[in-house]
Amino acid sequence: MMLENYVFYLFALVTIVSAFIVVFSKNIVHSAVALFFTLFSVSGFYVLLRADFIALTQILVYIGGILVLIIFGIMLTNKVTGAELKTRNLHFIPSVVVTGIITGMIIFLLLSTDWNPVKDPFSPNSTIKQIGFKLLGDYLLPFEIASVILLVALIGSAMYARKK
Amino acid sequence: MQNLILYSLSNFIPETILVVTIIVCIIADLIIRKKSFAVTFVAIVGLVLSFVFVVKQWGLSMSIFSGMLAIDNYAVFFKLLFIISTLFILLFVETSKEMKTASHKNEHVYLILSLTTGAYLMASSVNLIMMYISLEMVSLTSYILAGYLKKDKRSTEAAIKYIIYGAASSGIMLYGMTLIYGYTATMNINEIFLYLSKNPITDTPVLLASVIMISAGFGYKISSVPFHFWTPDVYEGAPIPITAFLAVTSSAAGFSVLVRFFLVGFANTEIITAVKWQEVIIVFSIASMIIGNFVAVWQTSLKRLLAYSSIAQSGYILLGLAVVNSAGLFAVILYLSAYLFMNLGAFYVTILIHNKLGTDNMDEMDGLGYRSPFIGVTMAVFMFSLAGIPATVGFIGKFYIFSALINTNSPNLTWLAVVGLLNSVVSLFFYVKVLKHMFLNKPEKPLPELDYGYANILITLLLAVPTILFGLYFTPLLRLAENSIKIFGLN
Repeated sequence: MMLENYVFYLFALVTIVSAFIVVFSKNIVHSAVALFFTLFSVSGFYVLLRADFIALTQILVYIGGILVLIIFGIMLTNKVTGAELKTRNLHFIPSVVVTGIITGMIIFLLLSTDWNPVKDPFSPNSTIKQIGFKLLGDYLLPFEIASVILLVALIGSAMYARKK
Repeated sequence: MQNLILYSLSNFIPETILVVTIIVCIIADLIIRKKSFAVTFVAIVGLVLSFVFVVKQWGLSMSIFSGMLAIDNYAVFFKLLFIISTLFILLFVETSKEMKTASHKNEHVYLILSLTTGAYLMASSVNLIMMYISLEMVSLTSYILAGYLKKDKRSTEAAIKYIIYGAASSGIMLYGMTLIYGYTATMNINEIFLYLSKNPITDTPVLLASVIMISAGFGYKISSVPFHFWTPDVYEGAPIPITAFLAVTSSAAGFSVLVRFFLVGFANTEIITAVKWQEVIIVFSIASMIIGNFVAVWQTSLKRLLAYSSIAQSGYILLGLAVVNSAGLFAVILYLSAYLFMNLGAFYVTILIHNKLGTDNMDEMDGLGYRSPFIGVTMAVFMFSLAGIPATVGFIGKFYIFSALINTNSPNLTWLAVVGLLNSVVSLFFYVKVLKHMFLNKPEKPLPELDYGYANILITLLLAVPTILFGLYFTPLLRLAENSIKIFGLN
């Protein structure tokens, strides 16, 4: 248990520090690389929570898909527009105040609430089989509707991307 | 499990028909390869078929797909409303010159249909996951439709603004949902209600926070203050038929899920006193009415005026929810059916004006009432109805909302009715301002008369006649509303 705590704090530290780099780095490529560490250590949390499938999906989707897409996007727009890839932060003080209030509120809620814990949190087995049964059983409808949403998104992006 | 799913599918026919229609439309579009009414016609056939099967669900009361969707009169009412509004929008698009300038062919047809499908699901969701997924389906389609005129900078800007605000508010909503899940360990709103009414509520801050966060997602759909920032810009930038669609279908879908969430999950005197969500709704409603009405007074663009008007209208509808009894819910249903006709009508007249003048600036409309008396008179009907003048359907809606507020005693909400009435007076000012431009302001030089085709006149009459007819003979509406709200079992 002790070791697990240390690992948790390590992941938390990496997440927060790299998230700060994402926001404050002046170079957008540095931000993208820092985002890799943020996303990766978030998947570490899922492992600690025994959610092996979600951890894998996090790596596959966010790092394998979205992050690579972002980096490609930066490279391609840079080529096309020739614009300088610098970022800066606007409205620094108001956003610090707002995020401060929200963070304070969330911490207060976390500490003050009597949460209703999940019945059997530490199942030693892999969760993939259970998730599969749930997706094609109780959660069949949201799962199928998600595919309709993807169809709509596909139509929309094709419509916007077309030249004419 | 298989039997359950098959049983659920047999009660899922209206939605299935719509999804099949979407696919048929896509294939038809591939075959035809040019702008054509045929694709719209396929969509209309699909909607009418779906209408038949929705009507068959009237009177049923069940939950399908392991408690994801509810089939009941309340959902049926909203589905009928969505079908009627979608049919009108398809006709609007056909007669709008603005949509003809788009470089796309028939994409709008199946995008509009997918928004309707999402709205169907929103009206019947009883599970937080399903609510979220269906809300996203409606939102995603709206983003695409808002930017439909790719060459128009304002349309693209509208889409970008819409997607940024939309992403932020659905993120906040999801966070609120996780808080509720963490507290009650369930996502079905019926079970949330059971949990909250069986266990003493000790941790009110978390419930209040999650209720406010979830309201951010729904409030964004109904464009209620403080989640309204996207409304004026998106309404102004999007093509007018799409704006009308967002103002009616998307907003009614937001109300359907908001009302169900609160009145199924949290409608119990102890929960209301503990969580204080009634106060939250009252605050949102007063803010929407005041900001909507007072900012609308300064607008010169008709589309922006209608945007602020719909912010104010969602404030009035929220008043009905804030009463938390069957009279209030009854008024909400009535108001939404009135809203369908009068708001679609106001937007359609705007489309007709835009077709001829190429602008929606009200200064350009001086003397329009004499150039085309038909446009002037029908616009007057819709504006008076939106303002709530007697002998229009808008009056019936407002009347029942205010009487529900006055008749409730726990707590006494008469003051809220007074606030609403004062706001209606302000709203009368800017609604009449449109008519002042049309009839009293003389144009600098005499302008030619405007002619409209039979199709345009017919569509306008299809909206104007019910606006007056239901204002005089409203028993059918009352009966419909009465039967739609039975399942909630409120007193």
